[in-house]
Amino acid sequence: MVLAFFKGSSDDGNFDHIVTSAVAMLADARHSYNLATLALLTDADPAAVADDIRDTDQRINLAEQELRSELVVHVSVHGTADIGSVLGFTLLLKKIERIGDQAKNILDLAENGVTLSGRDDIEELLTERQFLSELFAEAGALLSDPDPSSEAINAFSDRATAVMDQHQATIDACMTSELPGREVVPLAIYVRYLRRIAANLGGVVRSGSEPLPLVDYLEDGAVDTED
Amino acid sequence: MKVGNRSIDLRGPLRFALVVGLIYFFLIGVSSLEAGIKIMGEDTQESLFSAASNPIAALCIGILGTVLVQSSSASTSIIVGLVASGALGVDDAVPMIMGANIGTTVTNTLVSLGHIRQSSEFRRAFAAATVHDFFNVLAVLILLPVELLTGVISGTAEWISEQLVGSSGTEWKSPIKAWVKEPVSLLRDFWEAVGTSGNVEGIMMVLTGLVIILLALSLITKNMRALVADRLERSINAMLSRGGGTVALFLGLVITIAVQSSSITTSILIPLAGAGVITLRNAYPVTLGANVGTTITALLASLASSSPEALTVALAHTTFNVMGIFILYVIPLARDVPVRAAERLADVAVERRTLAVAYVGIVFIALPLLGVVVLG
Repeated sequence: MVLAFFKGSSDDGNFDHIVTSAVAMLADARHSYNLATLALLTDADPAAVADDIRDTDQRINLAEQELRSELVVHVSVHGTADIGSVLGFTLLLKKIERIGDQAKNILDLAENGVTLSGRDDIEELLTERQFLSELFAEAGALLSDPDPSSEAINAFSDRATAVMDQHQATIDACMTSELPGREVVPLAIYVRYLRRIAANLGGVVRSGSEPLPLVDYLEDGAVDTED
Repeated sequence: MKVGNRSIDLRGPLRFALVVGLIYFFLIGVSSLEAGIKIMGEDTQESLFSAASNPIAALCIGILGTVLVQSSSASTSIIVGLVASGALGVDDAVPMIMGANIGTTVTNTLVSLGHIRQSSEFRRAFAAATVHDFFNVLAVLILLPVELLTGVISGTAEWISEQLVGSSGTEWKSPIKAWVKEPVSLLRDFWEAVGTSGNVEGIMMVLTGLVIILLALSLITKNMRALVADRLERSINAMLSRGGGTVALFLGLVITIAVQSSSITTSILIPLAGAGVITLRNAYPVTLGANVGTTITALLASLASSSPEALTVALAHTTFNVMGIFILYVIPLARDVPVRAAERLADVAVERRTLAVAYVGIVFIALPLLGVVVLG
């Protein structure tokens, strides 16, 4: 570590390392999401993926803790010039960490014996799952881009919002459904997790472009994410 | 994706050149101080520094002087300048140097008071700050009596100095002294041209020297901090991921040599400790390294003089800190004493926060002032 003082680094003076680590955390979160949703939507054994998902979640949590420490060190050393970036990254990392938790929540459903594999609309659910999985990759690409266009960010944000609206409609339909609770409650809970994941992915991308005080708030002042 | 904007800064080589220039000014300041004292004559010198003949009073002067300038690098450089002028003996200067070590910790203790509103944060920050105080006070409590009885610190420093530049009482040809001779002569000509002479001229030379020393050191520290900030950040992150220990001690040493200020090193640690990013036990060795690292400035200052005594007193500062580490850190039984004392004091300070403020006032101002008034 003393030698670290004398070595040069391409990361000097910027947040490249934080961005790289955040993208890796996002890839981990996607991995957990893919496994957890498969366990719920197919006949795959949840026990077979549980350890992987929990280990991945732990890795995400540890990475978040380390990066948070690094951000505090940055402020202590450089002063408050980068405080906006530091707070933005802190929010961004928390959102990725929450996505990891939400993937774990989906696994919990599967481990509790819930399965959606026998539903009539399973193909639709699998398509939705794949669409959301691809949003992870797109969010990672936008995060890696040192200067993404506002059009790209807005387009992503619009798609994430559309997914959230679609999920909300499903949740609303479940609320008023006359079908038995054992059929609609697991679906409503699952879709609610998906909605949170989509909201957090949108937040991850918007953290870099929106003014810090407005991140997580809609134009009318309402909160657009809830953990 | 870029989150926020970074400010554009002076480029490295330009800043480095500026630092080199500032070091030159700093050495001119030390030499000017030395010249000013010499101009004053023996009677004035004796009346000015008679208080320092009592070691406790000298210790208190060291504490107060350092609290005043908020930098042991500055106060020890001034002490080196005084020794170089012959106004202050090595024996009188060693307790002052020890006092400077205690006085410099006031900065991070003041920084820790910034966390006073939040109990748990304040407990961690105050403990991280006062562990440095406790180490330095304990080191003085142990080593000052030993030094007074045996002269082990000044003796060791004198021996090293002799090996490097020759015996006390002689002169050695410092190349740096030759480089700063001309600007100091110009300063002297200036004060003579405005009509000063004798003690007034000496006082003006001393004041000019002090202003140059403080200004140059402050700018050196500021620029070096900016110059090495990214390296500093990287090495602290490396330390956080691998823990503290001896390597953290060397890291504190390297950082402090680079920024020329132990206060900067230790003050960076306080917010980290307050936020719980670094533990007290991991922060502790960094502060010890900072104690040794800060002695580089006095060693640098001693190069502006041709007096071996100046180098001896600068080396005494290093020797004192290294001995302190051997006694209080290398010996396992003693290692935890400053840590536990700091934790205990932090617990008390959290319960009664006015005590934390009173602690700063008593330890760094009232007691040293009392010492100077009564014993000086």
